[in-house]
Amino acid sequence: MSDIVNVSYLAVGPEIILTLGAVAVLLVDVFRKPSPRVHAWIAGFTLALAGVVAGFQWTAEPSVSFSGMISIDRFGTLATFIILGVAALGLATAWGMVERLGRRGAESIVLVFMAAAGFQLMATSQNLMMIFLGLEIASLSLYVLAGISRERVQADEAALKYFLLGSFASAVFVYGVALTFAGTGHLSILDLRQFFATYVVLRPGVTLAAMAMLIIGLAFKVSAAPFHVWAPDAYQGSPAGIVGFMAAAAKVGAFAALARILIAGFPFYQDVWSDGLALLAAISITVGMIMAIAQTDLRRMLAYSSVAHAGFILTALLGGPGGLAAVWFYLAVYTVQLIGAFAVVSSVAGPMGAQSPLSDYTGLADRSPFLAGALALFMVAMSGVPLTSGFVAKFAAFASAWAAGYEWLVILAVLASVAGFFFYLRVIVLMYMQEPAVAEAPGAAPARFQAVGAVRWVLLIAIAVTLLFGIVPGPLLDLVRNALPL
Amino acid sequence: MDFPILSVLVLLPFAAAVIVGLLPSRRKELYLPVGIALSFLPLAASIWLFAVFKTGEGAFQFVEKTTWYAPWGVSWHLGVDGISLLMLVLTTILVPISLAASTTISKRPKQFVVFNLLLEGGLLGVFLSLDLFMFFVFFEVILVPMYFIIGVWGSDRRIYAAIKFFIFTAFGSALMLAGIIAMALMYGRQTGQISFDYLDMLNLQMSYQTELWLFAAFALAFAIKVPMFPLHTWLPDAHVEAPTAGSVMLAGVLLKMGTYGLLRFNLMLFPRATVDAVPILAVLAVIGIVYGAAVAIVQPDLKKLVAYSSVSHLGFIVLGIFALTSQGLQGGVVQMINHGLSTGALFLLVGMIYERRHTKKIADFGGLANVMPLYAGFFLFTALASIGLPGLNGFIGEFLVLIGSFVTLKWFAIVAASGVVLAAVYLLWAYERVFTGPVHNPANEKLLDLNAREITMLGVLAAFMLLLGLYPKIALDRIAPSTELVLDRIEATTTYEVPYPGRIADIVGVSAHE
Repeated sequence: MSDIVNVSYLAVGPEIILTLGAVAVLLVDVFRKPSPRVHAWIAGFTLALAGVVAGFQWTAEPSVSFSGMISIDRFGTLATFIILGVAALGLATAWGMVERLGRRGAESIVLVFMAAAGFQLMATSQNLMMIFLGLEIASLSLYVLAGISRERVQADEAALKYFLLGSFASAVFVYGVALTFAGTGHLSILDLRQFFATYVVLRPGVTLAAMAMLIIGLAFKVSAAPFHVWAPDAYQGSPAGIVGFMAAAAKVGAFAALARILIAGFPFYQDVWSDGLALLAAISITVGMIMAIAQTDLRRMLAYSSVAHAGFILTALLGGPGGLAAVWFYLAVYTVQLIGAFAVVSSVAGPMGAQSPLSDYTGLADRSPFLAGALALFMVAMSGVPLTSGFVAKFAAFASAWAAGYEWLVILAVLASVAGFFFYLRVIVLMYMQEPAVAEAPGAAPARFQAVGAVRWVLLIAIAVTLLFGIVPGPLLDLVRNALPL
Repeated sequence: MDFPILSVLVLLPFAAAVIVGLLPSRRKELYLPVGIALSFLPLAASIWLFAVFKTGEGAFQFVEKTTWYAPWGVSWHLGVDGISLLMLVLTTILVPISLAASTTISKRPKQFVVFNLLLEGGLLGVFLSLDLFMFFVFFEVILVPMYFIIGVWGSDRRIYAAIKFFIFTAFGSALMLAGIIAMALMYGRQTGQISFDYLDMLNLQMSYQTELWLFAAFALAFAIKVPMFPLHTWLPDAHVEAPTAGSVMLAGVLLKMGTYGLLRFNLMLFPRATVDAVPILAVLAVIGIVYGAAVAIVQPDLKKLVAYSSVSHLGFIVLGIFALTSQGLQGGVVQMINHGLSTGALFLLVGMIYERRHTKKIADFGGLANVMPLYAGFFLFTALASIGLPGLNGFIGEFLVLIGSFVTLKWFAIVAASGVVLAAVYLLWAYERVFTGPVHNPANEKLLDLNAREITMLGVLAAFMLLLGLYPKIALDRIAPSTELVLDRIEATTTYEVPYPGRIADIVGVSAHE
């Protein structure tokens, strides 16, 4: 099928629109020097239009175009939807930062768009080279975003660490791509599956090494332990407004690529790679939960908790094609919780702020009841308490892994979830049950924080999504069940 | 039944919580009265349910079933039988009372009322759910409001107590979740359709080994909740640090989730494992009875004394359940209600004296009967009910448990009987030190006796204690058919046979549920 040059612009429609939107923002910025409000309109319009085009993709017949490079299937389209949603929420959260950056504000919008387009490419590509291309487009944008407030040393440090470790991961991934080609002579995922279905690989060493490197490269991007060391520094040092987007979008894009490569490309090695993923999941869950307990900075805590969540998503992936629905549900609801949590963080730390010591949150419930309530809900949801989306997500992940025969991992994961209550609850303890320490300077009242402007809407949406899909998850679960790769 | 009375019952408290949540924040004085008024709606619903419940039927009544998410086989499946019926009434009675006992709450009063109402909704959901997924949802979600109630409105060590409470109980239920998933998938393999439905699970085929593991997972969750020795250490902390309303709900209803779960799930779903686990659970129950009572005797703190007495009383309930006789099971269920009423009342009484004197130390009091005669009267009445004085409710429950367990667990019953004596020791001795003699502490001379609100609260509970003590038939008629079904199930699936005279059916000559 890859011999026919079939060009379908629908397949890359959302990415084209994002790119055009990015160009428009840049040009308008150069020639008109408009107020941020104009940028907001352009950005909103671009994202909405991209969403509409993605809607067309959803209803289109699954197909492959551009010589087998890009596919239209519900798998990729669902990822596009989630990434666009994450970009919209992330940009709204970061709007305070965009306004404050002045001339560089436009750049940050452009970078968000390019990152989103890159991650969408990762999810829709049928070819390992294209996946790598998407990965690099997205990663480079994120490195710059991490350091966009270049006045601050922490931001530079975060960006540099993120860049060095990220490029290392990319190198591992591209090595995996090369080894795959060396072992099979194919780069297209569909051809790979065809190859393994047709031929018996007598000496699978190279193939297995290739698979391992592809997994490791992407494990870096989803911050699965032991490839997570960049995450805490990057989360802590980057501008508060944009961290939510960085973390959430990377997880969606990288998990989509990982799931597609393994499930569509290497289905005949499922018993091998699922053992590997189970090990990775076990390490991530354990390391993430234990390290999170020891943190004194909310952002580092969220970073380690996201390591654990990467482990839970890997747990869901163990179910193979049957576990994909669990992966998607988890990604869809967790990214919203994550962005919501960072929306609170950026309201407290300021949109450009680095570091969020937990002591900032002491007694927050009395000063800023809305922010405290929102953060409490996200903490409860992340810890997996029922009637929040987090419980349904965890439940689906555990059921998927149990059905695949990984009972030991499920038992480890449920016990680790209990350990997770420690640090999630500690945030609630600080906000609701402790009085703020007496201010050092007499008369200095503890600051009241407010969710301003768009951040308020981000929080309301995130709260609604978290509760809605916790109580009535059926519609979303039905939707994601259809999102299978070609 | 067309009208979805059970759904309404579960959802009413949640709706009430939303209404209170939407009250304008400048009308602070409204929160508590509105909350109390709204909590009368579920009470009315449960009393109506009690009235129209068909006695003599053991199966679930008023069953409602709506698909929640079909591919997972999860449904909103509610039903009430003789075991859960009384728990509903107990829960709905205690909520307005515990709210009425919270007039001194000044910190974030709105949230306090909201969390209490959410707690009620979760509890009703636990007792009504006939779907393991839904049951787990409610079982787990209750932790959040209780965690806030202890952690925000508790006393000095409240944060420690709240976290300990949360982690202990979450730990137990985590393994139960794995067990529930395992059962649903096993059912899926056997029939082609995954299901979490309780009634479907009764048809599940499993090996003895699997049954043992699942029994252990469920039993651990419930044993922590009960709490059974040696998993009880969270209880004294939580009970003592919680505000009065929290202690009342915790002791009155939350602990019963554990015994209810043992009865509803462990006995029914894993009968073979149950029969073989009897010695272990009976030993732990008896240790709990004696240990709880012995520790209660030496407590210098009144609230802690009542907390440890719960460990002892809950041991009786577990012993009765695992006696696997008609009398034992009925006694266990009756005792769940009794303990809810009498310990609830004791915590209210402790709360009332604490509001007046800001101390719960027994040594700070003495001769209170002179200054607060009404208070002393209620305390004595409740203490006697708790000890098991004939004519009051505690007697019926303990008597049934003891004769029921004497049939199958003779020596356990004999040791357990000492718990009744020890109960008299710790409660009457405490009464003596607090109430009798002259007033030797000048701070106690000016104490005010109970006011109308407090008399109403205690009076309602006392009336129920008297009613159940004098006329337990209204409860037993509804409980017995359902507990007989449990025994039928165990006898049908195992080689275990209830020895004479452990079955009502043996004595009366007919199966009670027919």
